[in-house]
Amino acid sequence: MTLLDENKHDELRAEGFDAKLWRDLLTYTKPHKRVVFALMLVAMMTGAIDAAFPMLTRDVIDTVAAQGMAADLSTLGVRYAVLVACLALCIFTFIMLAGWLRTSLSYDIREAGFAKLQELSFSYFDERPVGWLMARMTSDCDRLANILVWGVLLDMVWGTSVMVATVSAMIYLDASLALIVLMVVPLLAWISHVFQRKILKAARHVRGFNSRITASFNESVMGLRTTKAFVREDADLGEFKNLSGDMWQASVRNAVLSAAFLPLVLSLCSLAIGLGVAVGGDRALSGAMSLGTLIAFVTYASRLFDPMQEMAVVFAEMQMAQAAGERVLGLIGTEAAVRDRDDVAARIAANVPRDGLAEDGLPDRVDAIAWRDVSFGYGDGPRVLDGINLEIASGSTIALVGPTGGGKSTFVGLLSRFYEPTAGAIEVGGVEYRERSLRWWQSQFASVLQDPHLFSGTVRENIRYGKLDASDDDVEDAARTVGAHAFVEQLDDGYDTEVGEGGDRLSTGEKQLVSFARALLADPAILIMDEATSSIDTETERRIQSAIDCVLEDRTCILIAHRLSTVRRADQILVIDEGRIVERGTHRELLDHGGRYAELWGQQVSPGDSRPIGVTA
Amino acid sequence: MLWDLSRGDRLRYVVAFIALALGLLVMFGVPRLIGFAVDVIAGEPLDVSGAGGVFGAIERRLAVAAENHWLAALWVVLLTSVAGGLQFLRGRWAAQASESVARRLRNRLYGHLARLPCSFHDGSETGDVVQRCTSDVETVRAFMASQVVEVARATLMIVLVVPILLSIDVEMTFVSVALYPLIVVFAVVFFRRIRTTFTTMDEAEGAMTAKLQESLTGVRVVRAFSRQEHERDAFAAASAHLRTSNYSLIRTLAVYWGASDFLIFAQVMIVLFWGAGAVQDGNLSVGELFTFLQYQAMVLGPVQQMGRVLADSGKAVVALGRVREILDERVEDVDDVSLDGADVMGSEGASITVRKLTFAFGRDSKPVLDGLDLHAEPGEIVALVGPPGCGKSVLVQLLLRFYDAPRGTLFVGGRDVLDWDRAALRTQVAAVLQEPFLYSRSLRRNLALGAPEASDDEIERAARDSVVHEAITSFDEGYATVIGERGVTLSGGQRQRVALARALLKDAPILVLDDALSAVDTKTEAAIVDALRRRRGKRTTIVIAHRLSSVVHADRIVVLDRGRATQVGAHAELIATNGTYRRLWEIQSSQGPELGETA
Repeated sequence: MTLLDENKHDELRAEGFDAKLWRDLLTYTKPHKRVVFALMLVAMMTGAIDAAFPMLTRDVIDTVAAQGMAADLSTLGVRYAVLVACLALCIFTFIMLAGWLRTSLSYDIREAGFAKLQELSFSYFDERPVGWLMARMTSDCDRLANILVWGVLLDMVWGTSVMVATVSAMIYLDASLALIVLMVVPLLAWISHVFQRKILKAARHVRGFNSRITASFNESVMGLRTTKAFVREDADLGEFKNLSGDMWQASVRNAVLSAAFLPLVLSLCSLAIGLGVAVGGDRALSGAMSLGTLIAFVTYASRLFDPMQEMAVVFAEMQMAQAAGERVLGLIGTEAAVRDRDDVAARIAANVPRDGLAEDGLPDRVDAIAWRDVSFGYGDGPRVLDGINLEIASGSTIALVGPTGGGKSTFVGLLSRFYEPTAGAIEVGGVEYRERSLRWWQSQFASVLQDPHLFSGTVRENIRYGKLDASDDDVEDAARTVGAHAFVEQLDDGYDTEVGEGGDRLSTGEKQLVSFARALLADPAILIMDEATSSIDTETERRIQSAIDCVLEDRTCILIAHRLSTVRRADQILVIDEGRIVERGTHRELLDHGGRYAELWGQQVSPGDSRPIGVTA
Repeated sequence: MLWDLSRGDRLRYVVAFIALALGLLVMFGVPRLIGFAVDVIAGEPLDVSGAGGVFGAIERRLAVAAENHWLAALWVVLLTSVAGGLQFLRGRWAAQASESVARRLRNRLYGHLARLPCSFHDGSETGDVVQRCTSDVETVRAFMASQVVEVARATLMIVLVVPILLSIDVEMTFVSVALYPLIVVFAVVFFRRIRTTFTTMDEAEGAMTAKLQESLTGVRVVRAFSRQEHERDAFAAASAHLRTSNYSLIRTLAVYWGASDFLIFAQVMIVLFWGAGAVQDGNLSVGELFTFLQYQAMVLGPVQQMGRVLADSGKAVVALGRVREILDERVEDVDDVSLDGADVMGSEGASITVRKLTFAFGRDSKPVLDGLDLHAEPGEIVALVGPPGCGKSVLVQLLLRFYDAPRGTLFVGGRDVLDWDRAALRTQVAAVLQEPFLYSRSLRRNLALGAPEASDDEIERAARDSVVHEAITSFDEGYATVIGERGVTLSGGQRQRVALARALLKDAPILVLDDALSAVDTKTEAAIVDALRRRRGKRTTIVIAHRLSSVVHADRIVVLDRGRATQVGAHAELIATNGTYRRLWEIQSSQGPELGETA
């Protein structure tokens, strides 16, 4: 889904009101039921106290007006002081409660999302860029928690209680005058609603431009050399000026909308106040209404708009946030495509740990692996692997050769059970691997990938990722074995050198060596090397060849490589093309056979001859 | 600097300020008017003798209007609407002015960035620079758009309301503003002091985001080692840390708002009861008391806000300083230019001469080029090979004057590069740089970058020669396909080939390929090399490569090691000589080229 689609989607979702979605989101407050209850109570009290002040003011004025010098204001003073203290306390309490709840909710939703992300299979990640997932887990979570707590639980409850209290007070003071004055309320509500939506939309528009401006700056810094080489400085600035001009327009429009809204509602309120003064004045003159009551009425009328506006904001924000809510709930609700079958999960739960047995009660040992008629396709797409039959002896090395897109990576994905076969079975020591614990099976693997990803942290921490409880000596031994020790020692802080985000401060070759050490330290039963040496230059690869041999020793190994020199020592070489194994055998056998492999080999040993290699670019 | 940037909008600011003042004055008439009306209804004589001048005139006018409470009601609506109109105009002008300042700042930054020398960008992180250009500018904008306005409004309110209050009752005026200093000072002190708490929270949030990002980008590694639980724990720790710092921020904020609101309601209470006492004593009418109360309701909010804004304004100063640091950096100088007709060499080709070129990036660092000699005639293809760090790519950067070579060491078309105007020199060179950068625009616009006038036919021919036409037409929208963040992601090989086509279209006398085909498979590479030879004409071509199959056809191959040429000759000659080239050739032949494109 591209960014543009997503925005369109947001607009659509913002039209209606999805009550079910909000109910679903509210279930996240269940563990904090008491806090929710307390918060709503305090919000109601705050609203009620807010609305009580004009009544007290009325009493003060009426007392003074009626009794003059003789009046004793001390009781009213004490009452007023108590109310002020209560209000301050309420404000303190609801900020504490709402803040706490918001933070906890955001934490809970994020936690649930992250846990789900750890379960979801690669197919989920294949379809969604990291930036998209990041936005769901950070801003979306915060936004939903904010709206839910500050908006729905606090402002809505507060606003409602202020409105109810104000209206009741006005009716209590003078029912017919109240009805006249309150006529402006529907108008106020409608205008607030319309404007808040417009304002939010305009603000979103501005945010959209803002992110484009950020992207432009990013591009100008990243592409600096290209810009200079093509002498594009002025042309680029011209384009940027257009963009910042559009941004100006959007921002001003947004500001103008906001600037128009407040005066408009204030004028509407003045209508209510005017009605209060005029009609109330008549009644006061006729003696039907006290001066204090008149003043209280006018005060109430001038305060009508506050809660209305707050509620309009919340309502508009809720509508705008529906798409975000849907995305987050969608993420959390996604069923992992690959997970333990129910009976296996039950077996794991019931299992008593015993030596030599895995958590699912079966032997903790990887025996021969057999593929029986395995086929696989992504979703409803065409078959990427088709009828694969294969025996992988324990401790043997299997090399996969063939063009890009032929199915090599899918083969590895199926073996590691990141995906499961759509037909056929993969058996381990005679047991179908879906009968085994997923966690157990996946912990038998370690991989060295084409683009070796390191985590920010030190070299030592990165190698130790292979085995979290490894000692410093173990780490260095692993590095020595793969020939990484020498370069690590050369780094400024040796093993304690920070590798930077994604390992960026190391060269690709160095990263590959570190990832070798990491895989070796993991000491897996099955090792996967996916184009592991593609980015290492010729001389370095030759140097670490012995390290590779050493890593391969005594374990089952799956090797994917473009360079055939790396695969010639494998016990079994599979040439995979269009989802099928088109040739299999040892290097010798395949050369003698004189098929595809022999042809490839022939081309590689005489590179001057650049004949087609059967690979489409 | 802000003064400078506000040029052209100062009038808007002034007018906005006047609208603000007028609007407030009109607005302040309302409570006074209602107060009069209340007194009229109560049957009290109106006391307007207190003020002279304009204030007095307005007051007398209001008092007359208040004689009839229906008329007064009408005036309330009228005044509020006029005040609203003025408020709207103020908001509009202020927004236009402050947005213009922001726009100017952004444009200036953008133009400046592109003209800064490469050495500046080498020494700074992209994220940091971008942040200064975006969120720091946003902080400055918010300061201009709302903070300045807020402070101006609150200050003006006090300045305007105090004379009005004084004209009603001096003693009550002092009572009315009794707690104001406390409210403002409390806010300033408080927000200054909790700045560290905000920083702690920002850092915790940053750490959580970083952890999340790493875990997601490294998801394959996490799974490859089945470290899901480890990741969950690590993320939960970062997330819980954020939660804790959030809690403590909330506790502090709750104390602040509780206390601050207490002060505000206490201020109202003081006015009410002191005023009630004054009414009892006959010093104040009920209507006047009401007026005092209404002014409190209007002014207290902005005053409370002002303390906060004042405390925050430090942020804007810091942000402005950070923006300024970039703008103060010196741009590539353009004074040593000698632009004349000879600057455009057209398709005649240009020779390149390198004479005893020694170059180091910093004064104290090791030279990357160490006495290099090299010559290429128009129409020649010269290849550079050598181990990483031998100085191959540096030469390209010097040729484009991303960095300056010492005088008398590097000549293009017989002229020292230092005597070339930078822009003119760069126009002579079409380069495909290592890890080429493509803009996130349509493919057509990317291709035509160096030749905006190019026809569709020319574009397609360049794409065909770079063997990328078929890949492009396989996209749904062909040449109109948008690439990059907002569109299709190209593979490394495709990017390189698009960059090559882009360079071919530029049709400059010098073509430089800096490891430009590393991600392209051998078959495609051969086709491209063929096309390049066919198209070369009088063009001088420099090819830099790891893979020797890209260079076998060059007129001359230069083997570089530690910044100097160790071997020079054609492929056949070098193969026959015992040396680095032959050794590299042997290693590569035994291992063979890659089998396919590593996408």
